[in-house]
Amino acid sequence: MMERIANHPILGETPKREKITFIYDGKEYEGYKGEPIATALKANGVMTHRYTARTHEPRGVFCAIGRCTDCVMIVDGKPNIRTCITPLEQGMVIETQYGVTAQQ
Amino acid sequence: MFDIQEKLKEIGPYIEEADDDLLVCRCEEVTKGEIRRALHQGIFTIEEMRRYLRSGMGLCQGQTCGKLVKGIIAKELHVSPVDVYPASSRAPMRPTEMRILAEDGGVCHE
Amino acid sequence: MKIERYDMIVVGAGPAGLSAAIEAAKQGLKTIVFDENERPGGQLFKQIHKFFGSKEHKAKVRGFKIGEELLEEAHRYGVEVILNATVIGLYPQKEVTVKIGEELRHYKGDAVLVATGASENMVNFEGWTLPGVIGAGAAQTMMNLHHIKPGKKVLMLGSGNVGLVVSFQLMQAGCEVVALADAAPRVGGYGVHAAKVARCGVPFYLSHTIVKAEGTDHVTGVVIGQVGADWNIIPGTEKHFDVDTICLAVGLSPMAQLLKQAEVQMADTKGGYVPVCTKDGATSVPGIYAAGDVSGIEEASSAMIEGRMSGAAIACYLGYMSEGEKNARMKELEAQLDTLRQGMFAPKNRGKLVEKTDEGIAVSMNLLENGFVADDEIERYPGVTHQKGIHPVIECTQNIPCNPCQDACPKGCIRIGKNITSLPAVEGKKECVGCGMCVASCSGQAIFLVKEDVEPGFGEVTLPYEFLPVPEVGERGLALGRDGREVCSCEVTKVSKAPAFDYTNLLTIKVPNEMLMTARFYKKA
Repeated sequence: MMERIANHPILGETPKREKITFIYDGKEYEGYKGEPIATALKANGVMTHRYTARTHEPRGVFCAIGRCTDCVMIVDGKPNIRTCITPLEQGMVIETQYGVTAQQ
Repeated sequence: MFDIQEKLKEIGPYIEEADDDLLVCRCEEVTKGEIRRALHQGIFTIEEMRRYLRSGMGLCQGQTCGKLVKGIIAKELHVSPVDVYPASSRAPMRPTEMRILAEDGGVCHE
Repeated sequence: MKIERYDMIVVGAGPAGLSAAIEAAKQGLKTIVFDENERPGGQLFKQIHKFFGSKEHKAKVRGFKIGEELLEEAHRYGVEVILNATVIGLYPQKEVTVKIGEELRHYKGDAVLVATGASENMVNFEGWTLPGVIGAGAAQTMMNLHHIKPGKKVLMLGSGNVGLVVSFQLMQAGCEVVALADAAPRVGGYGVHAAKVARCGVPFYLSHTIVKAEGTDHVTGVVIGQVGADWNIIPGTEKHFDVDTICLAVGLSPMAQLLKQAEVQMADTKGGYVPVCTKDGATSVPGIYAAGDVSGIEEASSAMIEGRMSGAAIACYLGYMSEGEKNARMKELEAQLDTLRQGMFAPKNRGKLVEKTDEGIAVSMNLLENGFVADDEIERYPGVTHQKGIHPVIECTQNIPCNPCQDACPKGCIRIGKNITSLPAVEGKKECVGCGMCVASCSGQAIFLVKEDVEPGFGEVTLPYEFLPVPEVGERGLALGRDGREVCSCEVTKVSKAPAFDYTNLLTIKVPNEMLMTARFYKKA
């Protein structure tokens, strides 16, 4: 689990946001509507977003701004979705990506 | 830019290095050793390397490894990185689904 | 295929792009800005520290506030800013292909300004692909935009301004920075940024780099080692740290691919692959301009001025401004840019070791090698004086372009002079009233108020404090030295949180008189 910042010395209190639920690898989790999927996963302790095609090594967030594409996952059935810049929505189904597919 | 045969003679044979299995291109999972071996086969430019090994051809389009690949080529060829010819730039500059490209109807922003 | 025409198309809504669009829109150009991100402002909204420079450069204003001001100004002058709009192609005829949402759209600009900024450089080492190894930009994005800690225990690689600033921000967000390493033998960024990290207790390992990241599914540790003259690790120098995050801040490269695609003449330089352009950003292709980091890495402050210059140049190129008007505006902007490019960190000094300040004072080697000025070095700077009664002690020891402290003092105690890179000096004859405005105004957090003998044997040090929780008056804790080590126990005697301080709280601690020139940070006991 990674702690969210509730109060920041310069930015002040984090604005209240709408809590929603999503499915990650078959289980239900909570996150905030509109935040990047990657942030919601991180808050729930998820570090590994995918396993690579060739050497099957774990990958997660690296650049966090949609450039490096290391954080891609399967979102609502669609692979290669950059989770660091894709907003979380109620009921989203997020799956770990193996190569370019969900695990058989 | 180089006489390939002359350059191959100059750089000598490929000799394995301890960190040859280190990944350079994260997207296409290309290692330093693969790039070094390709250099000793006469692949001297980033452009050729991209086609030959797919380094820098993945989703990020070389955003992360571009400079690293350039550094390896320069070191192996005994030249300065500024003398390694850059890869060409072409659209689409960011990963774009084929469907979106295909449906390009030329609709304008209001 | 339909094409929509604009006077000026800007790629990138960061500091350079927005500034250019504003400058051009002011002259009546129909201007549109595309940005691939969900929010405008580029990196400004992640920059929560106070900026350097002088008033005209918005010094002592925090980056995200500057971003808000720019957006407001863009809105006021009718600049269209289109977000989630990725420019995927730029052609020599100034045609722009943009992916907006799920659709491709086509635009034609009479002029096009490319202000795409930079991308982060990376280094590879064993384990660098493990989840938990992130870019410094990623850390900033997570904590300052998405309100989540990037990690609990972090190792920072890179001692340039990005590495230093992000290390400090990590601590502000509540993370622990276990060490800061850099393969270079000396700190690359501003000494004041290094000093504020070091006094919090972060050890600096210069001439060190990462040997490997440890962990199977994610980072659980890191090993660093000392680099020898051949850039290889010296065996036996390896040090292990338990961390869950490794943050990489090893420089930036201009992101100029669009310009290359547009067949602009490019040059491969040490600073990256950049367009060849004039001072106002004109490239070899008529009507295509470049401004900001894409034409060479600098600070956001200079990117904003470069943007304004390009905006004015484009307005003139398209006939919205006369040559004379343009030249007058250019002169003004060039002067602003010139002041930012002075001092020890000026582009011409990049990579050079500057051993003496402009004033002829030896630069602190300890600052360059360990991140803090040693106790026996600090006395030689003109901002450090001993006086009866309360007075500022200014630990600003390098020539950097910054002067808000001079304007902040209502009594005229602080003098920098006309040249904003000069070291601030304390004028002994003027009387300090202890208002603390200088302490809060210093973007480098290098000013302290010192008062001897508030009671027999004890004096007070007032220091800038940008952390939570803010200590209570009466609380007892530890005073830390410039090196981050404990020097004595102390008591908090005053906490000031005036709105004018802009979240730089002023903490006054009571310490023995002999510790007044040593105690520089407060830690809860």
